Amino acid sequence: MQRSFRLLSALLVALGSMVVVAACGSSSSTGSGAGKTGGSVTVVQGTAPDYFDPSLSYTTQGANWGWISYLGLYTYAHAEGTAGTQLIPAIATSQPVISNSGKTYTITIRHGLKYSNGMAVKASDFTFSVERAIKLNWGGASFVTNNVVGATAFSKGAKSISGITADNAAGKIVIHLMRPYGALENVLAFPAMGLLPPNTAMKNLSTSPPAGFGPYELKNVVPNVSYDVSLNPNYAGQAVPGVPAGHVNVHVKIETNTTTEASDVLNNSADVFDWGDTLPPALLSQIQSQSSDRYKAEQTALTLYFFLNTTEKPFNNPLARQAVIMALDRNALARLDSGNLTPDCYFLPALLVGHPTAPCPYGNPAAAPNLAAAKKLVAQAGLTGTPVTVWGQERSPRKEYVDYYASVLNSLGFKATTKIIASASYFPTIETLKLHPQTGFADWQQDFPNPIDFYLLLSKAALQPTGNQNFGEVSDPVIEKGLAKLSGVPSSQLSSVASQWQTLDEYVAKKAYVAVFGYEKTPKFTSNRINFGSLLFHPLYGNDWSSLQLK
Amino acid sequence: MARFAVRRLASMVAVMFAISILTFLLFQVLPNSDPSTRLAGRTASPTQIAKIRSDWGFDKPIYVQYIKTMGKILNGTVTSYQQQLPVEDQIRQDLPTTLSLAIGAGVIWLALGILFGVLSAWRAGRWLDRGLTVLSLVGVSMPVFFLGAVLSYYIGDKARILPAGDYVALTSDPWQWFKHMLMPWFALSVLFIGVYSRILRSTILDTINDDYVRTARAKGLSERQVMIRHVLRNSLIPIVSLWGLDFASVLGGGAILTETVFNLHGVGQYAAQSVEGLDIPPVLVITMFGAFAVVLLSAVVDIVYAALDPRIRL
Repeated sequence: MQRSFRLLSALLVALGSMVVVAACGSSSSTGSGAGKTGGSVTVVQGTAPDYFDPSLSYTTQGANWGWISYLGLYTYAHAEGTAGTQLIPAIATSQPVISNSGKTYTITIRHGLKYSNGMAVKASDFTFSVERAIKLNWGGASFVTNNVVGATAFSKGAKSISGITADNAAGKIVIHLMRPYGALENVLAFPAMGLLPPNTAMKNLSTSPPAGFGPYELKNVVPNVSYDVSLNPNYAGQAVPGVPAGHVNVHVKIETNTTTEASDVLNNSADVFDWGDTLPPALLSQIQSQSSDRYKAEQTALTLYFFLNTTEKPFNNPLARQAVIMALDRNALARLDSGNLTPDCYFLPALLVGHPTAPCPYGNPAAAPNLAAAKKLVAQAGLTGTPVTVWGQERSPRKEYVDYYASVLNSLGFKATTKIIASASYFPTIETLKLHPQTGFADWQQDFPNPIDFYLLLSKAALQPTGNQNFGEVSDPVIEKGLAKLSGVPSSQLSSVASQWQTLDEYVAKKAYVAVFGYEKTPKFTSNRINFGSLLFHPLYGNDWSSLQLK
Repeated sequence: MARFAVRRLASMVAVMFAISILTFLLFQVLPNSDPSTRLAGRTASPTQIAKIRSDWGFDKPIYVQYIKTMGKILNGTVTSYQQQLPVEDQIRQDLPTTLSLAIGAGVIWLALGILFGVLSAWRAGRWLDRGLTVLSLVGVSMPVFFLGAVLSYYIGDKARILPAGDYVALTSDPWQWFKHMLMPWFALSVLFIGVYSRILRSTILDTINDDYVRTARAKGLSERQVMIRHVLRNSLIPIVSLWGLDFASVLGGGAILTETVFNLHGVGQYAAQSVEGLDIPPVLVITMFGAFAVVLLSAVVDIVYAALDPRIRL
């Protein structure tokens, strides 16, 4: 009963819309040609960003404006595919100088940069910005508090973060870590680590976003209704190499009904469909057939899997886990998501360094499953008839995934029942360690393009009473040893340890700790007005608004 | 009249108090409804969760949390958990939309409901009555999410006669406001028009044979006078009562589907988002606001009752 009215209304609205969209036409034009600079485009988002304050925002919708309006010391290359996972200096002049111990990072910032309000950018603003994010309880604050010396003490009331020192005259920042943490550069590239002027109020400024440094400015926020991401006129003169100045002003409209959102773009009354939303199945085939020149399903680094609790019967038995992985029909699961799923078996997605190239250990994920062999394994383990509770959330197609999964478990000989709970409380529920959920749906969208971000989910360190991300309660010395060795490797040197990550990911697949079924694809879909060819789809931040151009 | 006002005021306070307690408790007893874990995000450490719990006072006993939240609601400083924005500001932002929708649609469904009900009763059994009966049944059976989507697509997206959605403030452009509201008004009204006209038709047909109506006719009053001054006046009592409650329900966030189909960003949509995110403060405020609207409109309805039927005393 706690299921929201919104979801109900969305379902009803979608149902109503399906009846009318069948006749919906489009007038696609062909050829992208060269785009032009200037003008304004309308982006429609189904979900409003969580916050309009960079120090608080932690969703994909927030990152869309965050990474082009609030540059930090580092950012990502404005490129597609794996090229877009490359860290580039933004306010920093170059890659950090890392001490031999891997615990001290020295960074120099560019001189002469100015925020959108005209104030000069100083090294000490970095310290202020980090402190502000911690003070305001930013969702990713643990990346800082768990690694930077004095950050936890600061969160508990200390005056400042003792592990960060800034020299404004020299433009130098020194960060001291508790232990080597290779993903620090990725953390520094979070929009929440974007530098802010020191006079920014220590409170949520979502209704009047603070000044920042970047090609765009966040303006005219009407919470849950609309906002503008306008070109920063002062940026062109101080442009950072690799961070383009942008072409058009972006007006964002929040459209909670995704069918209307998609129809608006299809009918050219809006320009860009939010990549974080799912195209309604009723419209998808029409878009694919009639607007193929302005639609593409883009691969994301979001892994979809069923967790298998390695401490609870029956999945404490490796044979039971192997049987599940062997029996999953990933193509069937892809169909449940209108084909927006790339079947695979490895935990690290294809866009990430360390994604294995070896064949999957329990059968080709793109082929039909070997149900007979899987059944045999369950019988061999003496687990036939074991009751299994499958946890899932109501959100479509996740509920459908779980329904399908439960049917597979039953066909293997288990007695599976589903436990579907409201989306808002799903993860807080299964993250409660004492619940020891047997199995269920889970996903992981990268916080940053570094394998360590995924492997936190399989590490002993993630096991905690609340907020436990290691749903399978995996505790394996091989993984721990691998992580101890690899977690300190700086992001800029990741390629040097790619094979070691591959070996670790292959090991995890062989041990059948998680039943990965694929990586999600997401829509890049625009109106006829947009020069589709110039719009970059970034592997982390999706549609790169700074590459948007009108035809 | 003063006693009536005091009585209504007291009942309003009691109803709102009871509703606030119920709503607050309902969210507390939900499994894993602790907002601190949702506020902290999926990568939070136990320290971070504990800090949020302490910062927001979620570690305090439930009654303390209730009193604190109610205190903030009453002095207008309560913020949502999800976006940490003042709830009062958000409702103030959304209320003009909901008011525009409720008032416009309320007038339409009352006027057309009465018109169709009277015409139907007046021509009972004839082609006009049959036609209106069919129309009413179609209206009652037409879900707002379907009608809204049909209107939005055919009249808005395809024919481009009216805007397919969104809200334009009355103060910024009255003509655009009117154009943007026409379809939502109609979509929301259709169901009510059907219901009201059917109820009014049957009430009129019941009343038309009452003794006092026969007496009025015997006194030599014209059929028009009999209908308007005696039959309609008495038959309107259930309609007024219904209208008050329906209007209050729409005003208090009940037009979720209409607001969603036409992307109006009203109180209903805000309520829906807040329920989905288990965000107690906005839900509490909107529920209390809805209760306030219902109690207030009930009082207005009672006053109108007294005007319609002098036998009713306040």
